[in-house]
Amino acid sequence: MTKRKTVQWVLWIFLIGLIAAFAAIYYAFNMPHRNLANEKSSYILSAKQLISDFRNDETIATQKYLNQAISVSGEIKGIRNLENHSIVFSLEDAMEGVSCTVDSADAVTYSSKLVQFKTGSKGSFKGRCSGMLMDIQIINCVPE
Amino acid sequence: MNKLIILLLLGLVFSNVGAQNRFFTKDARINFNSSTPVEDIIAESNQATTLIDLVKNEIAFSVLTTSFKFRRALMEEHFNENYMESAKFPKAKFSGKIVSSIDWTSEKSVIVDIKGVLTMHGVSNEILLKAHITPGKSKILASAEVKVAPESFGISIPSAVRDKIAKEVTIKIDAVYVPYQQ
Repeated sequence: MTKRKTVQWVLWIFLIGLIAAFAAIYYAFNMPHRNLANEKSSYILSAKQLISDFRNDETIATQKYLNQAISVSGEIKGIRNLENHSIVFSLEDAMEGVSCTVDSADAVTYSSKLVQFKTGSKGSFKGRCSGMLMDIQIINCVPE
Repeated sequence: MNKLIILLLLGLVFSNVGAQNRFFTKDARINFNSSTPVEDIIAESNQATTLIDLVKNEIAFSVLTTSFKFRRALMEEHFNENYMESAKFPKAKFSGKIVSSIDWTSEKSVIVDIKGVLTMHGVSNEILLKAHITPGKSKILASAEVKVAPESFGISIPSAVRDKIAKEVTIKIDAVYVPYQQ
């Protein structure tokens, strides 16, 4: 009788372990994409500061900012509406400034706030830094 | 009167030189597709920057690897952390030359051969590709497709997942270039 109970316990523990393992795998496989709206910014700075950090030393700046949630603000110098309905706001310089991309879904969610952002006005965004090409790119942005 | 004509001519010459020799875009679309019976993996970025020099017939393309979006967040994580090592190699680049003849004034769609060097994951390989190019005065359309093997760029794929990732990944590029004003 006691032996049978022990076997039963072992089976139960095994089963629970199995379910937990499956749950963990299922979660990992279906884990949600990063939502920048729910993240606290690791860095809050002006677009000018960010540009100067990248111009000074791109490698160091990339190491520091890559994939970090950052809040950046500056004068809007250009707005581009892309074919996939995302919107790119260029801060401080249309060619070599900071490009903040708002994804199509967020462009709808935050539309009332985004319409206030015009060329020449001040814009503030929170997003994920993906590095620098001609400009410094901040993606998955939400307006602040 | 003569002076005026000279000035006008100079103006014409400079406006031609300054304006339309180079076209660019920062919103080129690049996607790749790894298709196997086990799994289809598709990723896309709309943040590729590319430049065409119409005089030298040169083309340059670069994209930040962390800007690729995947259907599953886990795939995105594996792509950046295990395969592309984006923290170490944040950019993928191509720089090449159009080797077949092209008439930039024709505004007719042509297929051209481009020869160049693709650098990603810190490894450079020479590649040849065909591109559709439609020249124009105010915009140039270009699209291309190329197949690359991850292994030839030093990207090692563990044997456990090897059959989930295609031996050759198809990269597609779509760009609408506009005149580059400096």
